[in-house]
Amino acid sequence: MKLCSPAGHTLPLSLSAVARPRSLEGLRIGLLNNCKAPVDKMMEHIERKLRAMSPGVEIYSVAKMMASQPAEAKMLLGLRQNCDVVINALGD
Amino acid sequence: MLLISTAFVALARNQARVLGMPAMPTVVLPHPIGGTPLESVLAKVDAALPEIIAKLTTPLATEVKAAAAADASSTWVEIDSSDEWHGLQREFIERGWGDGLPLVPPTEARVAAMVGGAGLPKEHIVGVVAPSMGVATVELIAANAVMAGCRPEHMPVLVAAVQAMVEPQFNLYGCQATTHCVAPLLIVSGPLTRKLNIHSGSGLFGPGPWANGVIGRAVRLILLNIGGAKPVDIDKATMGHPGKYTYCIAENEEASPWPSLRAERGFTAEVSTVTVVGGEAPHNINDHESVTANGVLTTVCGAIAESGQNTVYYNNAEPLLILGPEHAATIAAEGFTKDDVKRSVYDNARIPMTRFSQEIIERRFWRRLATRYRNMHTDTLVTVAQRPEDVMVMVAGGAGKHSMWVPTFGSTRSVTRAILKADGTAWLPSDF
Repeated sequence: MKLCSPAGHTLPLSLSAVARPRSLEGLRIGLLNNCKAPVDKMMEHIERKLRAMSPGVEIYSVAKMMASQPAEAKMLLGLRQNCDVVINALGD
Repeated sequence: MLLISTAFVALARNQARVLGMPAMPTVVLPHPIGGTPLESVLAKVDAALPEIIAKLTTPLATEVKAAAAADASSTWVEIDSSDEWHGLQREFIERGWGDGLPLVPPTEARVAAMVGGAGLPKEHIVGVVAPSMGVATVELIAANAVMAGCRPEHMPVLVAAVQAMVEPQFNLYGCQATTHCVAPLLIVSGPLTRKLNIHSGSGLFGPGPWANGVIGRAVRLILLNIGGAKPVDIDKATMGHPGKYTYCIAENEEASPWPSLRAERGFTAEVSTVTVVGGEAPHNINDHESVTANGVLTTVCGAIAESGQNTVYYNNAEPLLILGPEHAATIAAEGFTKDDVKRSVYDNARIPMTRFSQEIIERRFWRRLATRYRNMHTDTLVTVAQRPEDVMVMVAGGAGKHSMWVPTFGSTRSVTRAILKADGTAWLPSDF
């Protein structure tokens, strides 16, 4: 019996990742808080740890207002302009 | 890189793949994170820190692919049908095509007939369905409609429903992936409801010998199969609710003393509409005794004013009050308009802040809703919507003194779409 698969196809996106830095030295690190509890405290803790490991790091912290909505374009632009890498909290 | 918990690995990796970066580095912490003592959370972070550093500083495998040509055409599969019924159903389950209930096989003839009902080319793209960003062509919608048990004349409703759900303000991604129980509630209004047998009266939420069940089920199959919101891995609903099987009703405009939902939203009398609402399960409101508008509204507001509903936590929530015809008649008899009902709910369905935990007060009210509640004392009364006009009101149901309250996901706004043909004119009962 020939049947139509009901499953959708995702139109392909291809993205290439930026080159990874070799170390934390002088790195600009973004911390994207998805506003779920207690991600703010987690990110603060990560920031303290990163600074202790490598005092020259720059930390750029942002927080979404709602976990279930994508980060706003302005926020993403800020991360792009001010960060070499980003740690993005996702989920509960 | 992504910082996630074990319960969200499949969703995170699905999203990375869908958004074009399947090699996105992830660090996985043991679930749960929320609702646990902070010390234990920070201990998990400390244990993961070496991996976090490594993932930030280790070269990724190069993922450079030439963009493939866009191809949203349907896939046809040959399935052994020697064991016609049970074998087919087993095959559907193994392929992950369904909702756990028996499915109608989407044969060429059935799908073609269903496509014919839409009045659109089979390859026409109606929308892109989150979270897997599946392309919903007319043919794919038709395949899911066949499986749900729909008839070809239901296709215009389904096309309008998909168009509504993919509008940004509905936030389909959020509704599909959240741990909240939300399911899109379809509210069909207008002259097509009677022609297509979409029930607005007694027992409209089910069950019954009308189209509500199959249309709602088709929507769920579209969300599962085209949108990829498979339960557990991608649809993270902690519980879900029965509306995730099917959730479709018609507005009882004949019984309503007020303008309908579609009239409020500017549609003319001959235009039928679909409104999608990201809804929790409906909660019954029983009032057999009150004989005045204020009496009924006192019961309504008392039933609504409960903590734990998402609509309280969000700036933009649009909760839904479905008044049974008899409650609506009692209220309207004293000259109350729909706006008066909305104002009454906004003014009187209020929850003492003391009914929420200190953590909720601090994080949700004082911080997230700071413009309204920042540092306010705990004897403050919390509203169920941020503005009276955000309370949606409609009339549906049959005889009896019951109404329904449908809290919503909160991070979603309802969308109303006209049910239109390819030429932009409205589908009319005479077209069927």
